[in-house]
Amino acid sequence: MRLLMWWSGRALSSAATLLGVSVLIFAAVRLMPGGFAETVLGPFATPEQKAELAARYGLDQPVFVQYGHWLAAVAGGDFGFSMISRQPVGAELLARLPITAELTVLAVAASVLLGVPLGVLTAVRARPTGGGAAGRLLSGLGVSVPEFVLGSLVVFVFSRYALGLQVGSWVPLTRDPAANLATMILPAAVLSVFSISVTARTTRDAVMGVLVEPYVTAAVGRGESPWSIVRHHILRNAATPVVTLIGTTTAYLLGGALIVEHVFNLPGVGSYIVQAVGRRDYAVVQAGVLLAAGVFIVMNVLIDLLVGAIDPRLGVMAGRRA
Amino acid sequence: MSLLSVRNLVIDYARTRALDGAGLEVAQGESVGVVGESGSGKSTLGSAVGRLLPRAARRTEGEVLVAGEPVFDLPAARLRHLRRKHLGFVFQDPIGSLDPTMRVGDQLRLVLGRGGDVRFHLGRVRLDDPRVLRAYPHQLSGGMAQRVAIAMAMATSPDLLVADEPTAALDSQVREEVSDVIFTLAAEAGTSILWLSHDLPAVARRCDRVAVMYGGRVVESGPAAQVLGHPAHPYTAALARSAPAAAAHGVRLEPVPGRPPVLTGPSPGCAFAPRCAFAEDRCAHERPAPVRVREQDVLCHKAIELEDRLTAPIEPAPIEPAPIEPAPIEPAPIEPAPNTTEVTA
Repeated sequence: MRLLMWWSGRALSSAATLLGVSVLIFAAVRLMPGGFAETVLGPFATPEQKAELAARYGLDQPVFVQYGHWLAAVAGGDFGFSMISRQPVGAELLARLPITAELTVLAVAASVLLGVPLGVLTAVRARPTGGGAAGRLLSGLGVSVPEFVLGSLVVFVFSRYALGLQVGSWVPLTRDPAANLATMILPAAVLSVFSISVTARTTRDAVMGVLVEPYVTAAVGRGESPWSIVRHHILRNAATPVVTLIGTTTAYLLGGALIVEHVFNLPGVGSYIVQAVGRRDYAVVQAGVLLAAGVFIVMNVLIDLLVGAIDPRLGVMAGRRA
Repeated sequence: MSLLSVRNLVIDYARTRALDGAGLEVAQGESVGVVGESGSGKSTLGSAVGRLLPRAARRTEGEVLVAGEPVFDLPAARLRHLRRKHLGFVFQDPIGSLDPTMRVGDQLRLVLGRGGDVRFHLGRVRLDDPRVLRAYPHQLSGGMAQRVAIAMAMATSPDLLVADEPTAALDSQVREEVSDVIFTLAAEAGTSILWLSHDLPAVARRCDRVAVMYGGRVVESGPAAQVLGHPAHPYTAALARSAPAAAAHGVRLEPVPGRPPVLTGPSPGCAFAPRCAFAEDRCAHERPAPVRVREQDVLCHKAIELEDRLTAPIEPAPIEPAPIEPAPIEPAPIEPAPNTTEVTA
């Protein structure tokens, strides 16, 4: 019963969030300076030409009427057609989604596999005086260097010198998995630098926080080995902030993928949306942002469920006494 | 040879000195109560026994021998072995000292290893409800959680159990039961107890010997009845007179005047001198050496002179019902923030 209440509550609030996002994005794309007509027809078009184009796409109607039409179509699963390529947006997004998803999954995997052990290790090995300066510098650098700078640098270095990995080309996963991985590894690496740094730092802070807990002192006092203490008492208790972070970062990485896909010329969702924004392709931008919002919402529900499973005090069913 | 031997132990935190040459002996099978105000170094002494001090703590001088092994000079693996085999700890915060994300049964099994009888060990601390095994620590009451912690600490039948105010966070009705469990189990296993406490009457009733701490030193130690009934150190006398639970009706409680010291380095003389009614010149400049008064070891220049002149109201006779925890005598100095315990040690 309680679980049902929780799920229906979450579904309602998710729907409300999506609706809010759809209003915002619908308004935002129309508020961008340089409308669709100007972008397509160029600076020398006459007002009559612009008006005719706008009428053809229904852009002359009041915004709320346009919104109503669009919302009704979206609710029916129809995201409309790209105003530039005349292709259905839904199908195009679906075809490009696997590339972005692969990129994100690789980057998240790298953050978990490298960031978490790095954080645990630096926390457990930390000395009371000094130390950790190198780690802080590295993670600070990893957090603050933007993806387009690092990405451009990597593209330059790998295209200028033959280092064994190609940039600027892409092979579908289904055709040749090994070649696909070879083309994805650099963009995934660039994308993951940020999340590895944040994950390592958050893990370190979380573990440091758990290390001072009395139950860790108690375990040390029982003569448990450091490895046993990390495995049994630290990992799970430090996991809550890290899982929360990785969840939000996953959604955030989709945003980072925009830039990385663009820099590395990968035909993913990100580059599609970047191009669409440049050309004021309203239908594509709206669908893309709605998709991103949907991913955020799903990730947040997943985080809540996972955190509840990790820490019995925070669960959906918490409060029930034994 | 004593089981535990603390010799001239000096422990420093960044700016404060927690122990200023503490000395203590505990024999096999004996129970020793350590009493003193907050900030007197009780907890530091208890943690030092298992080298469980916060990372910021430094051993400046002295040594701790457990079963003849120098705790502070052992390599990590030998230290772990020593903790597993000889030592058990029970802490003040019962729920906090259990892993919040692990079921009680799993935590016990982790300690007992494969083939350990979890039910039996819970039964020994008088927890017979099998639901406890499936519960998480936050679902237990403080008294239940402390029994679980005791079961875990006593599962290996250690030679020495260090109990750092194990009942201070509990309701007064539960307090006696939990204390009973600890002392009964320890007596069965032949385990020595180092009982750190504010509760003078309880210590008087349960412990064989008492060590009184002040300013990071053990200023008086000896048989419990002697130390608390006929103190030989002016501080012990003052402490005993200020314990509310011990006072008979109509007897005025006398707070110890002044406040406990916060040391930043070695105390030049007797740390209690500024608050002591009997202090003379040399007390402020000369560190007192141990003297023997009756059956007590005392750190006081005037101990011999004051023999039989100090009085205290604490009688070792049982006091019923359970006593109330005495309030701290004076605002306690802020203890150094606990830092990360060294897991690698």
